[in-house]
Amino acid sequence: MNNPIISNKKVFATYSLIWLFIAIANMCLLLFSQKISFYSAIIDSIIFNHIYFILGIGIWYTVRFNSLETYNAPKLVLNHFVAAIITSGIWIFTSQIIIYQVLNNDKSYLSFLNNSSIWRFLIGILFYIVLVAIDYLIIYYNNFQEKVLRESELKSLIKEAELNALKYQINPHFIFNSLNSISALTLSNPKLAQDMTIKLSSFLRNTLTKNDNQKSKLIDEINAGKLYLEIEKVRFNDKFEFVEELQDECKELIVPSMILQPLFENAIKHGVYESIEKVIIKLSCRKENDFIKISVENNFDPQSIPKKGAGIGIKNIQTRMKLLYGQDNLVTVKKNNNIFEVNIYIPLS
Amino acid sequence: MNKIRTIIIDDELLAREIIKTYLSKKNEFELIAEASNGFDGIKLITELKPDLVFLDIQMPKLNGFEMLELIEDPPIIIFTTAFDQYAIKAFEINAVDYLLKPFSEERFFESLERAQKLISSQSNHKKDFTQILNSKISSEEYLHRIVVKSGSKINLIDVEDIIYIEAQDDYTMLYTSKGNFLKQKTMKFFEENLNPNDFMRIHRSYIVKIDQIKEMEMFEKESYKVTLANGKKLPVSKSGYSKVKELLN
Repeated sequence: MNNPIISNKKVFATYSLIWLFIAIANMCLLLFSQKISFYSAIIDSIIFNHIYFILGIGIWYTVRFNSLETYNAPKLVLNHFVAAIITSGIWIFTSQIIIYQVLNNDKSYLSFLNNSSIWRFLIGILFYIVLVAIDYLIIYYNNFQEKVLRESELKSLIKEAELNALKYQINPHFIFNSLNSISALTLSNPKLAQDMTIKLSSFLRNTLTKNDNQKSKLIDEINAGKLYLEIEKVRFNDKFEFVEELQDECKELIVPSMILQPLFENAIKHGVYESIEKVIIKLSCRKENDFIKISVENNFDPQSIPKKGAGIGIKNIQTRMKLLYGQDNLVTVKKNNNIFEVNIYIPLS
Repeated sequence: MNKIRTIIIDDELLAREIIKTYLSKKNEFELIAEASNGFDGIKLITELKPDLVFLDIQMPKLNGFEMLELIEDPPIIIFTTAFDQYAIKAFEINAVDYLLKPFSEERFFESLERAQKLISSQSNHKKDFTQILNSKISSEEYLHRIVVKSGSKINLIDVEDIIYIEAQDDYTMLYTSKGNFLKQKTMKFFEENLNPNDFMRIHRSYIVKIDQIKEMEMFEKESYKVTLANGKKLPVSKSGYSKVKELLN
């Protein structure tokens, strides 16, 4: 997040205006209660307030690097306490050095300047506290707004993912070919025909009753995906094989819902449908540093020309992962020679 | 009477199986081969010269229509497919019949009867395939690849690779980044089946990939030429001129 004071013109104008008021108040105070000469009062006010004006912009960065999420309260207070003393110290020190250069012959003013250092130092700390509080408020407000935005975006994306899945399943090509397989099996293998009917039904029921859950267990995702693959397996028999390599910690892992289904569909559509070689679809899941890495890979015919519009499913997953975990590059796609591979990295923390 | 020699081409085993089962009940028909993709299908048809082919449309490598484009003297076809977006085209092709999966035995036997009648009447079923295959494929989809045969080699061209298309009598020449290919299709076919967002007919004899057009210049009085990204210059007709002008603005 950028410094809100300098990145937004309106905020900058308000900030400047406030300092102008403070400077005028400062000047009036010197003029009327301290009987300082007009010239000295103006110089004093301009220099002191100008310097804090600049320092105040910089306070944003101490707030940025002391976020409420990463540090505990005592550490946070200590950091800001030190920063407040340093800021105020720099303020008094540089202001006084400059003023000494400009007003070196107003003796009564200079004695006032020396006496007022300690008060000014305390005022500097007060300024610091006020600015830090405002900065934290800005961050909080922005985070809140972002969260609202992200949630609504996630909602629409999950709807889109569901819609894609549904579209695929009511895709006449898939459904009528599956029914044709059943029709053939009723003659040759009634038991298998019944199995296939039940699988197709559960598969369709799965999507029709999908709820809005953003996350689900990986093992549930895998089972739903396998159901789909088993149906295609009946259709394509020996044309593909499904292999899985799962580490135990993967099964209970919570993942964004509907992340595997589109990948399996891709593997079937671009691998199995378009190839005359046997296609191996491999699902693997293992811990890798601070992530759980889920991969789906398949071989494909490099000579087949992909239809336009491929990759919508993957894009949807990419965007959802980014919104859910706030990190880029959690989904990578690799295509080399005749292997297509999609990797999804679920952050562990 | 000779048996009707039949081939089944379908990428799904069970789909072939049900046809086989139904077919075995009719003695007049003899199954001589099966294929599970378009490449093998072409090979079988050219080598075995069957009387009748059951042909699926969506298959790996080559789909059913692309296959037919490449066969010079196609046999009688019964299409079997799961989805009827191609139905109109199939009837235009004058396929004997069009079976929507899943189909009943009775429906299947009706198809066989039609095929039988056609074969025994010895009518000239060799319809003018080229003309029919030149019609619009489907209202929903544009071409994304084109199949061409050079010698015995079958090439699949990604339409993305096309630079421009030139009319040459009954044929068209496809100039692509991967070489030039002659195709037995009309300009009208390409004009109708290529995505108009990507391709533009600029002249009676030329269709150009839009992103290849670099500029247009006056050639002679009231006659213009476009320059393509590869430096090639092509003439522009009057109606082409206004289209290109609109594009370049």
